[in-house]
Amino acid sequence: MPEINQTQKPANILLWIGLVIIVLAVLSNFLYFFSMPQAIIPWINLLLPLIGLYLLIIGVKRAFKQPQLYSGKIWGSIVTALAVAFLCLSIYGAIHARDLPPSKSAPRVGQKAPDFTLTDSNGQPVSLSQLLSSPVGNSQRPKAVLLVFYRGYW
Amino acid sequence: MRPVAISVDPPAVSANFCRTANLTYTFLSDPKLETIRRYDLVHPQGGPEGHDISRSAEFLVDSSGTVRWENFTEDIRVRPRADQMLAEARKIQ
Repeated sequence: MPEINQTQKPANILLWIGLVIIVLAVLSNFLYFFSMPQAIIPWINLLLPLIGLYLLIIGVKRAFKQPQLYSGKIWGSIVTALAVAFLCLSIYGAIHARDLPPSKSAPRVGQKAPDFTLTDSNGQPVSLSQLLSSPVGNSQRPKAVLLVFYRGYW
Repeated sequence: MRPVAISVDPPAVSANFCRTANLTYTFLSDPKLETIRRYDLVHPQGGPEGHDISRSAEFLVDSSGTVRWENFTEDIRVRPRADQMLAEARKIQ
């Protein structure tokens, strides 16, 4: 069997595919800015680094076990270590993002929404009953008020 | 349908945000979390530097003051889309 020299060594394709998937996994964190069903994005955020890491590990194993056939021992190991770190970060982020209060006493569908009075951005007091009864634009009272509680600190 | 945004942000912060984002609907401030607490939405230490904030939640309230639709996200990154909320609002006659 002829000896395979460095220039003939085939690229370790699994490492390259793994690297591309890890890059896609990083980019998948920006999917929230696009119009698509949001509920599946956290799963994409976790699945992509898992798949990428799996391919990288096989690729690195190949590079170490059959160095005469597969390249990428050094850069493959570095990318794999980074992928492990990124996966840990993704798992931590996913757990943190779901760490929310149960809100068991929140008003439920069919119940009255508790009235309140809060200050608007002009410094004026505004109550829920006011919001429900005062006219909107074309001098009709609104059919509904959508209360959007958000996290703030913008 | 009248959208109303509520958070712990003080009025000046909301006013600035409305100006920069060109938003004209009502922004209400609840820095002491009184209403946020009454709606059981306090996310303890959820804000930067461990401040208590509101979790994300949406309530569609009809003209009689009754909740007709609500949404509590289980993941802070996942929020309802504007078209989803508009579709729910259209169901109210």
